[in-house]
Order: sequence, then structure tokens, then C-alpha cells
Amino acid sequence: MKEAKIITRDLTLHYGQKMALNSISMQIPEKEVTAFIGPSGCGKSTFLRSLNRMNDLIPSVKITGEILIDGLNIYQKKIDVVNLRKKIGMVFQKSNPFAKSIFENVAYGPRINGINNLKILTEIVERSLKNAAIWDEVKDRMHDSALGLSGGQQQRLCIARTLAVEPEIILMDEPASALDPISTGKIEELIFELKKSYTIVIVTHNMQQAARVSDYTAFFYLGELIEFGKTRKIFTAPDVKHTEEYITGRFG
Amino acid sequence: MERHFELELEKLKKRILKMGNLVAEQVHNSFDALLRGDNELARQIIEKDRKVDKLDNKIDKLCQTIFALTQPVATDLRLIMSSLRMNNDLERMGDHAVIIAQKIEGISEYPDILQELHIGEIVNMTDMIVNDVNTILNSRNTTFVKDIFALATAIEEKVEAVNTRIIEEMMHKNEVIVVATNLIVVLTSIERIAGYSTNIAESVVFIVNGTILKHKKKNFETQAGAESTPPSAEEPLKESADLPTSEATPSEG
Repeated sequence: MKEAKIITRDLTLHYGQKMALNSISMQIPEKEVTAFIGPSGCGKSTFLRSLNRMNDLIPSVKITGEILIDGLNIYQKKIDVVNLRKKIGMVFQKSNPFAKSIFENVAYGPRINGINNLKILTEIVERSLKNAAIWDEVKDRMHDSALGLSGGQQQRLCIARTLAVEPEIILMDEPASALDPISTGKIEELIFELKKSYTIVIVTHNMQQAARVSDYTAFFYLGELIEFGKTRKIFTAPDVKHTEEYITGRFG
Repeated sequence: MERHFELELEKLKKRILKMGNLVAEQVHNSFDALLRGDNELARQIIEKDRKVDKLDNKIDKLCQTIFALTQPVATDLRLIMSSLRMNNDLERMGDHAVIIAQKIEGISEYPDILQELHIGEIVNMTDMIVNDVNTILNSRNTTFVKDIFALATAIEEKVEAVNTRIIEEMMHKNEVIVVATNLIVVLTSIERIAGYSTNIAESVVFIVNGTILKHKKKNFETQAGAESTPPSAEEPLKESADLPTSEATPSEG
């Protein structure tokens, strides 16, 4: 196993009185793809959102335990959440391009970070679009509205936008669930390429997708981490009966 | 839940059992015909092989359909992968029963030779192994897989000893060359039937707990205390069966 990029220790999360995560301890390896699977409401998306402190935005949330990224506890008071989220990009289920041009969508993050030199911005935009495998499709219409792109293209544009701020970790919350099989295939290929440079954590309801794209799989149920292991093992001979029942479609 | 898929898997299990029973019957009859010199029974075995071939194709096709339409994982994946393998092994066992049947006429002219060479003993041991394999196919009880491997090794040794004796006879008596050659072919088929039986036993173990025993039977036979659970293969597939209580590092596979 590669070195752990993210380590959680006894991470427990409550929404008000309701416990959504119960003492989750996990080591997510660097530059690998880790998939979170489990039935709706099992806590996988909550856990994902804890990794970049997005749950802080919900007032009733109470978190105990630790999340270490590169050894640093991200829930320390002195942590700058904006800087943290620069390091951890996120891609959502529904693509959410800004109502701006394709170029401006990708340049947005670097601009916020103070880069205004057009030459540098152009280089960043081109590199990000290339890395998100959408450059060839948009290079001739960079100043068209991003909203005119197809769903699959919009999602890859959002990935390009994430890459433009040079994160180290990319969190993906069901990134292909609203896409057709061709676009899904492109996103999956992209994930495979991106893992060479980034640590990727993906939440998916699609078992086959988890099996295809991930190196490690974590199965959550009712806020508990039931099993975490190499994907090839989880999908051939999981240790825990519960995992087996879920992935074979016998419950959940 | 997943009713249709369950039905398909049940259908596959039933077909494999049917194939197992059919082939066990063919093998048993070929041994019976050999020992009794029953040419009529031999003819029936050759005739009935069509049924084995037909079922072989049906099982292959069903596995292909399940793979294509349901993308099975875990225990379902192991069942279907193993069914393909077992189906192939069973079909080959059926072919060897036919080979034995085809040689009976040439051997039955020498009624004493089988007794002289103690071939009845080898045949009984092989019949036993085929029955044992059929039993574990049914029950998925892998408790006596080790015994099956040991029995196959014993058969192999006995066949080798008898073959050596036959070759010596052939060197001294030209008149026995034809029957001796037929006997060597029959013994080779018997040995192969025992070999395929161990393959099937391995497949049952793989279905039950994911352990790959292929090419590792020797280790398994010598493993102490392996009566109830076969040992893990090179890559242990069972590591931590409990819910993670401390920091979970992904279990290696």
C-alpha cells in the first residue's frame, strides 16, 4: 500500500442528535482511487464532505475525532479552510459550471488566487482542460458559454476547473451518475489518468463503476465503516458477509 | 431481492449437479463395463456422451449470459467462474469414460489380465473419488477435499506401477502388445478422471471461500490440521472478518 495521504481517527459526526458517522478510522492511500460505497444514508457522502470540511457549513453538525492530511489535523482551529479547500478539489453529482465562458470557468480559481497575467492564465486553462480530457472538444470555442456544453462535457469542465487550482486531492461525489454511458466512460478514463498525479476519493452508487475505477473500496452501512480493502479483493472475496450481501445485491 | 438473478444462479447450480450426476454415471458404467467386459454397456456409454456434450454447451451458454447481463461479483462471480471450469472438467471426464468404453472390446478378449494387474482396485478407488467429488459438488462441504487429493495421488502411483509392469510384459511378449496398448490408454484415462476430479474439488473450495488451490495441492496435502478449512493460497483471502475497531488500513488482497 502506498503512503496514506488522508488518515481519519475515530471520526464521529452528529447532525443534531442523530449520529451520521460512528468512529470511522481509515487510511486513504496517496495517488490511488478510493471508492466509498453503501446504501443511501449510510454516511459515505457525509464522510467525503468531512474530508474538506464542507460539513462546517451545516450549523447542527458536530464532529469529534481527527482527520489528518499529510499528517496535519484539518480540524485544528488555526487551519485556514480556504487554503485547505485549494488543496482538496471537489466534483459534484450535478455539474455546476458558472454562467461564464469556458475559459473563465477554468480561469476563475487561479484569478481568485491572484493570478491575473493572461499568458499564465491561458497556460493554466489549456493545461487543465487537457488534463481533464476536454481540450480537443472546446479549444475552438473557449469564449462560448459553458452552459452550452453537454452534461458530460460540463462535468469534465468542472474537473478542469478543479485541476486549475492545483489540488492534491480530488473528492468526487457521484460524478457520473447523471451521465450517459459514453460520458461516464470518459470520466472513468479520466479518473484513471488523474490518479497518477492526484489522490482521488469517489462516492458512487454504481458497483461496477467502483469496481472499474478504484484501487481501494470502503463499504459503509448505517454510519459505520464495515469493510475497507483492495477493490479487487472486496469484489471477489470480501471478508465481511455484510459487504458480500451488499455488492451482490442481496440487501440494501 | 434480485429474484431473476437468483433464479439464473439456481438454474446454473442445478445444471452443474445434473452434469456431475451424468458424468459420474458414465464413468461408473465405463468401469463396470471394463471389469465385466460388457460390450453392450460400452456402446451405450459412447451413445450417451451426446447428452454430456449437449449439457456442456447449455452450461457454457448460461454462464455467458449471466456474465453479460448481471456483472456478478464476489461469491456469485466465483460460482460462475468455477461452474465454467467444472463444466469443462466434467465434460473431459465424460470423454475419458468414452475412451475407456472404446477400448473394452480389445481388452475383453483377455478376461484374466485385469485381475492379474489388480486394475479392479484402481477402478474402485477412482469410482470412489468421482462419487466423493459429486458429493461435495452437492453439499459444498469441503471437509474431505484433502482425502480426495490423497486418493488421486494414490491412484497416480498405482497407475504408474501397473504401467511399468505392462511395459515390461510388452518387451518380452509380442503377442500382448495390442491389449497392453489398450490397457495403457485405459489407465491413462482413469488417471485423468482422477485428476479432473481433484480440479473440481479445487473449484468447490474456491466457490466456498475464495481460496485458490490450483497448483498448490501438494502444500495442502501436507498441511496439518487442514481437515475443515483449506489453507489460504499465496495471497491470503481471509484476513480480518470483523468490523474494523481501530484505524482501518485497507486489507491487502
